[in-house]
Amino acid sequence: MRGQQVTTSAALLALTLVVGFFSGREFLSMRTQDAIFPSPGLTAKKMLSDYFPALRNTPGDTEVFIFAGAAKGGNLLILGGTHPNEPAGTMTAILLTETIRTAKGKVVVVPWANASGFTHSDPQEGSPQRFFIETPGGRRWFRLGSRVTNPVHQWPDPTLYVNPMGQKLAGIEARNLNRAYPGKPDGYLTEKVAFGMMELIRKEAIELGIDLHESAPEYPVINAIVFHENAADLAATAQIELQAEGFDFRLEASPPNLRGLSHREWGDAAQIKAILLETPNASHGRLKGRPTISLVVDGKDKYYERASRLGRLFVPYGPEGIPLRQRIARHLAGIRAILSSLKELQPAEAVEIENVPSATDVQAKGIGAFLHPSLK
Amino acid sequence: MRIIYHLIVLYLTGHLVWYLFREKKFWKQASIVLVLVLFLLRLFLIE
Repeated sequence: MRGQQVTTSAALLALTLVVGFFSGREFLSMRTQDAIFPSPGLTAKKMLSDYFPALRNTPGDTEVFIFAGAAKGGNLLILGGTHPNEPAGTMTAILLTETIRTAKGKVVVVPWANASGFTHSDPQEGSPQRFFIETPGGRRWFRLGSRVTNPVHQWPDPTLYVNPMGQKLAGIEARNLNRAYPGKPDGYLTEKVAFGMMELIRKEAIELGIDLHESAPEYPVINAIVFHENAADLAATAQIELQAEGFDFRLEASPPNLRGLSHREWGDAAQIKAILLETPNASHGRLKGRPTISLVVDGKDKYYERASRLGRLFVPYGPEGIPLRQRIARHLAGIRAILSSLKELQPAEAVEIENVPSATDVQAKGIGAFLHPSLK
Repeated sequence: MRIIYHLIVLYLTGHLVWYLFREKKFWKQASIVLVLVLFLLRLFLIE
């Protein structure tokens, strides 16, 4: 009897170790960086720590891709992954990094702005760790992260977070990159990342910054161009262009008393034209059903469909959903319209990018048709 | 602090293994290993 008890215990212990090994390996795989294949138009690759050395060898350090053109023009910053659970922003930045060539001016792309946020998932959400995009060379997987910095990298949260501009926020916002601007060189990790971005803006002489986001369909700031007053004329002209092309974007002025956000502090602290673009993403909304890869990529959800019928959403949401390709197409259309308006309003600061897939093509063929097909 | 935390988790993990081998009823043993998985992950993955 005693021998059988020991055998059973040993077998269960062995099972425990096997389960622990595989679940531990799955957990650690979240910290593996996605592959990216920059286009031949890349002229320099740096790290954020090259602009703010205190970030070196920290989880806040992230890759910076620079595409400088032969002709002199303006300097543009495009940020994806400020919130790693908003995949259209990240994927648009990755798509640009893998396709573009700059003819005039300089384009700086940061696809994973909050790199730490990509190493974990939002707790209690059941979100998929990854989603995939089919390319001609096979399936490519990408991380779906959390809105905020990994608590393993920045802990504990304060009860009340007072951001660098003195705004009082809930404690968890201490890990939200888009509440931490203009950052602090000796602050929390997230504040250091924000400070690093400000140093990048200063050292690369950025004149126009576009921060790519997504919002839940029940959130009023959606399908929107959020602009600092420095960029009001630019945003308004871009909106007219977008409407002419059939893209409905609303204009949202950056509230002067809402501090710590990119569209406020980039403009105030660095005096650049600051713009934030929002597309609708059901996978991080509160009304969603099961959070699956399909929800992230295809954007179909029967509960959001019902909420739309009840008039509870700020965007139309039908049975066809709002797929990732459509959200990325909106970001691409937004960037194109902003650059076209910049060329019209301030020709000396114009930035001309070539090889950008058109919004129509991305909607029709999907992003996979334009991403690098290599597998790694 | 981290070493103290590790020692606490190691102590509790050791207790779970001890009770696993002392327990006679299978379903109670199964319950112990469910908790043990979490403690092992915490022991090896905590930073």
